[in-house]
Amino acid sequence: MHTSIPRGCVSVAEPEFRSSITTLAAAPLGAPALTDESSLTKVSVRAQVGASPLGVDFTRATRRDGVLIVGIRPDEWLLLGNANEVETLLATTEFDASVSRIDITHSRLCLRLTGVRSASALEKVCSLDFDDMMFPDGATGSASVAKVSSDLIRDDVNDEPSYLLLADRSFGQYLYDAIHDATAEFANISS
Amino acid sequence: MLLVPCPHCGPRNSADMSYQGEASSRPDPSSTTPSQWRDYLYMEHNPAGWLKENWYCSSGCRRFFTVERHTVTSEFREPPLPGSKTALPLSKTTETGADTDQQGGES
Repeated sequence: MHTSIPRGCVSVAEPEFRSSITTLAAAPLGAPALTDESSLTKVSVRAQVGASPLGVDFTRATRRDGVLIVGIRPDEWLLLGNANEVETLLATTEFDASVSRIDITHSRLCLRLTGVRSASALEKVCSLDFDDMMFPDGATGSASVAKVSSDLIRDDVNDEPSYLLLADRSFGQYLYDAIHDATAEFANISS
Repeated sequence: MLLVPCPHCGPRNSADMSYQGEASSRPDPSSTTPSQWRDYLYMEHNPAGWLKENWYCSSGCRRFFTVERHTVTSEFREPPLPGSKTALPLSKTTETGADTDQQGGES
């Protein structure tokens, strides 16, 4: 994100984004596709419990002006999108003085798992119920994924089940490998 | 597996939670005796019955909450509201495989 530098402050260059996932593996044929989307701009918006500065409820996610707004905790929302769209949304939304907005792009990793068997693959490493009735498109939840506290968002792509997974960036390669391993058995299974 | 009813996330595996111990009220440090203070810090009632407990939803909403759990059947229910002596209706979530008919008396 580009923010104006107050007068008198030292200007520092915008750090180049580097993903914590350094080794990507090819998905087995037919298995859910796992991609690294860590470079998405992520902004955490925090307010008091009960407030709804972005009009999105806890455990729900909705897309507005290209930005995915996620009610990730009772008092926290996450904005996901490209930098310009997120910045525009923040600039056009009126916030109370007590609402904080923090860019957490560099502290969180983001993986996307897409495919008809992606729910089955996730259920191997997470205790949440990913059935369509319990976790439909636009649902969010937080749980342990392969022993790592993670945030999960159902964000279908072209009517195909797709899940975004966010966690601390230091777990990047481990989490990528664990989920990639979970998807391997679903190769060449279409339904 | 123990299903703990988080008020925000719903029933969750206890592995996603952090047990924070028995919920008891903190005595006034200015008027309590060292013996009472030691009991508050270290001694737990450990009843075979309903026990008020604190839990932390560490992998979910990251909030503390209080529930009552039956230490024999691991059945959960919401604690009574302040000023009330009766507990709220039983929660539907119980330990998997637990015999829900086996209920002890109030501790």
